[in-house]
Order: sequence, then structure tokens, then C-alpha cells
Amino acid sequence: MESNYATPEEYGLPDLLCCAASREVKDNEIVFAGTGLPMVAIMLAQKTHAPNLKLIFEAGTLDGRPPQIPTSVGDARCEMGASRSSGLYDAFSVAQRGYVDLGFLGGAEVDEYGNVNTTCIGNYLDPELRLTGSGGNPDINSFARRTVFIMVHEKRRFTEQVSYITSPGWRVKKWPEGSFVHRKELYGSAYRGGPSAVISTAGVFRFDDETGRIYLDTCHRGNSPEQIREMCQFDLDISRVSGETLPPTREELHFIHSVLDPEQIFIPKVKHKG
Amino acid sequence: MTGKRITLQQAAEIIKDGSSLTFSGFTIWRRPFALVFELIRQGRKGLHLIEVNGGPQTEFLVGAGCVDIWESCWVGHELYGKYGANLSRKVGNKEIIVEDYSHAEMLFRFAAAASGAPYAATQTSLGTDLHNPEYDMLGRAGLRDGKRIPKHKYIFTEDPFYGAGEQVLVPAAKVDVAVMCVQQVGEEGTVRVNGQFYSDPEAARAADITIVMAEEIVPEEYLRRESDRNTIASFEVDYIVECPFGAHPTGMFGRYDVDGAFLKDFYGRTRTQEGFDDFAKEWIHGQDHHSYLEKLGWPRMLNLKANTALNYSTGVKRGQ
Repeated sequence: MESNYATPEEYGLPDLLCCAASREVKDNEIVFAGTGLPMVAIMLAQKTHAPNLKLIFEAGTLDGRPPQIPTSVGDARCEMGASRSSGLYDAFSVAQRGYVDLGFLGGAEVDEYGNVNTTCIGNYLDPELRLTGSGGNPDINSFARRTVFIMVHEKRRFTEQVSYITSPGWRVKKWPEGSFVHRKELYGSAYRGGPSAVISTAGVFRFDDETGRIYLDTCHRGNSPEQIREMCQFDLDISRVSGETLPPTREELHFIHSVLDPEQIFIPKVKHKG
Repeated sequence: MTGKRITLQQAAEIIKDGSSLTFSGFTIWRRPFALVFELIRQGRKGLHLIEVNGGPQTEFLVGAGCVDIWESCWVGHELYGKYGANLSRKVGNKEIIVEDYSHAEMLFRFAAAASGAPYAATQTSLGTDLHNPEYDMLGRAGLRDGKRIPKHKYIFTEDPFYGAGEQVLVPAAKVDVAVMCVQQVGEEGTVRVNGQFYSDPEAARAADITIVMAEEIVPEEYLRRESDRNTIASFEVDYIVECPFGAHPTGMFGRYDVDGAFLKDFYGRTRTQEGFDDFAKEWIHGQDHHSYLEKLGWPRMLNLKANTALNYSTGVKRGQ
């Protein structure tokens, strides 16, 4: 029912991102997710339209059903209701073996082919800022059929060339010479897919099947396609915009704030005036 | 009783200047902190950390100037500090060599070392700058001697068996010492980890010397009644240390939660070297493990204590 969508006063941007991410999940999929908003998004999917999704956390819990949000994938809370509690060898073997349908990841910078940087800002050999490093970002992105990135949108982050390719997009470097090739060519029989969406704080982006180039799909409320194009260093394709990002439903907001994250660890509640 | 039981001070003395070192745990969980603090007190220098992933333990050792080389994939404090500020500062000042691999590559490197193989083959991270030959930092520093430090960072090869295409060979992660922090160890060294065991079995087996710090040393016979619940075999462990709350400020499944406030305070105060030195003066130097726990105080520790049915604390305030 259309009336079930929340009004603009009832939700905040983090709610919108969480719901947009959650809708990328299909039922029965095997999903690999990292700490933070991705965790809330997949657990929301599990509570709503994808009750049979299988959840993997890279620290070693397979098919867990935690009742409340863990604060890290190594958290004791990850183990609640798990099919198997093990270690990283199991989690990454499962990924390399090809079980994973969808991975949820974050990033500091992204380019128009979905290459993502989480390693450093500036020249790698003389960096301005060292970030967290790769973690499992390239591993999950290498092996999942689809990966979805959730990112803060700033012009400097949507860049023509990332400072360091931590995680592989659609056009990647073939070493040792470093020439750009299509991901399919390099991955050979290990190829299963690649980045399928970027959900930023401005809109939802997808990738062209043929060229692997990013395009704008939906704009979050309050942003026009032209404004979003201005927020990218590369020439963003806005010819395929399908409309505005769907708002959260009241049911989704209930699950986020009353069931999954009542402590507001990752998703703050909208403060009502008056 | 066997001769494996030693004190925390003796355990730290086993790790010499210049040793390569790895740890149990995952990001902010089950890190051997009591020993990390003791290494800082003893002024250890030139350590080469080889980690499946880093965490607060990396940040403390790096901040204190104990580390020359860090080989891993990630460092930060999760929710309580988004990146490793001390490592970032030292990388910027070129005071430390960082060798980047991906998480799965580090894991497969440890699994190779743990099984006595010289390398592992994988297809992860193809096409990324992790494989950029310009970014072989140990090679650039002229340290690839082919003994403890492998001759190459990577070797690319085509699958010779099934024709599955491009493969990356990653060298075994050979380390001098692994320090584990676990719930229980038997008198002869059998380890029982509760909850996720992360990459502890591989790390323990990859090292030449394995030291286990446990919340409690228990009778061997007790652990051997249900051997299917054990994680590491007795003969893989060289030394054992009893050290309750030894992982604080990181958490331990079933025993206590992560002390997020402590980590947040550390992250906030140690963006500068002066800040780190000040923090170390307050919490590390002039203390031993018991006086450190006394300084934390019972109310704080009881709040972190896990509910025994749920395995985590219901008292900690996690949100904003």
C-alpha cells in the first residue's frame, strides 16, 4: 500500500540508505556483509522480504541469526543461531569456492568502473593519509556474484582515478605491466560477476552490462540528476535515471529502530520537533 | 604439572628485538593485551608484525615504537576508531614499512605456513594495486633475503592442472612467535577456544614458538573429556600463561565484552605522538597487569562481564 511509505519527516538519510541496500537482497541468497550499515541492511532484509537469506560474517559465523546488531563481525553476538561457528578459513574458502551471491562493502573512493579504494589517500609511496587497508573488501568483491557498495558522496570520493585500487571493479589492471582489461578477461574461470550497485548518500548507481561504466539510477529526495553529476569528477551518465529512491516503509522503520538497532549504534533516530 | 607454565614477564622476554610476531583474535576481539603492554614496558624494538588482520594491539605496539615492519591487510578499532591513527602517522613519516596483502591472501599465507607448504595459490584480488610490482615495499627496502622474508611478494602463474587461468602464488607466512589469548588452556597446552576461533589454529601452527595466554589454566584431563570441543593440540603450544582479563580492552567471547569507551579514548588521544606517550604513561608504564586492572576498577570490569547464557554483556552501552 502506497500509504505505508513513511513521510519525509519520519525518516533520515541513514534510514533511506539502509532500506535501499536491503532491497538489493533477494530471498534465499547467500550474503557476505561487513560491519555497520551493511549489517543492518541485510538483517532488515531477513526480517522483511528475504526470510531465507543466509548470512556470512568473515570472522567465521556461517548462516547466523543474531537477534540484535553486532558491533563487529568478530562480535560474540554474531554467533546466535548460527549453522556453524568457525573461523576465517571457512568463511573465505566458502567465498573462493563460489557460494556467495551478494557482498556488501564500503569504500573511501570509487571510480567510474567501480574500482574502490580503502587503502590510502594520495600517492601510495608517500601517502597523505593511510586508511584502514584492504581487509576483506577485495576478497569478497573478487568472488561474489554481485557486490553493493555503500558510500558517503563527495566530489573527491567519486573520482576519475582512485589513489589505490584496493578492490576490483569492471576494468582492472593486468599485472605486471598494469594495462587495463575487462574483469572477465582477467578472472577467467573464477569470474562470477562484480560491482552491481553503489548506494551513496546522494543516489543509487548501477553499472552498464557491456562497458562496466557507472550510471545514475535513482536520486535520493532533494537531489536532482544534474546536481549529482556535479558531485562526480568523471562524466556521470544521467540518461537512464528511473526516478526518486523509494522511501522506507513504516514497517521497515519499525524493524530498524525497535528491533535491530534500538541502541542507535549505526542508525540514529530522526528527532521530531515539537 | 609440566614445565610450560611461565609468567607474563617471562613470556615477553621470549620475544626478542627483531622477532616476527603474530596474534590470536580478530580486530577488537581476543587480542593478547597484557603481553602487548609488557612488551611496551620492556622497550622491545624492531618487531616485524605479520597479521591476518591488525587491530588495537597493532596500534599500541606501533605507537610505542616497537615495530619496524607491518605486514597485513587492515588496521583500526571498528566502531571505536575508524582507522589506525598511529600506523597512519608512522607511514606518513616513513618510520615503518607496510606490506599490503588482502585479508584472504594473509589467511591463505598462514594456512600454507601451518601446513608446511612454501606458498598458496589463490585468485583473489586480481586486478588491484595489491599486485602492483612498484608497491613491493620489502623488496624496495632490500629485505627479501629468501629466508624469513620471502624472495617475492607474489608470483603470477597460469593454473598448470585444470587450465583455470591466472593464479597468484602467495608466500607462506613464517613467523617466529605466535601469542594467543584464549578462554582455557590445559596444563599440557591443549587450547579450548569458545565461539569463533578466527584464524587462531593457523596462526598457532605457523609459528616456531607458540605462547598461550589464557583466562584460566585448567586440568588437562578436563579438556580431554570432550576433545571435540578443543581448538589447538597440546604439542603445538610451547608456553602457557594464566592471565585473567588479559585481552582487555578487546573482548573475549563468553567472558567479557570489548571496552569501547577505552578504545575510543585511545583513538581520540593518540593521533599525535605526544598523545600516545601521554596515554602510555597513564596506562602502561609503571604498571603491571594487576595494577592495570585495579586502575580500571571493578565496576567497569563487572559492566563488561558477559552474561553466561548469552555470551555477551547486557550492561555495556553500545550506541550513541
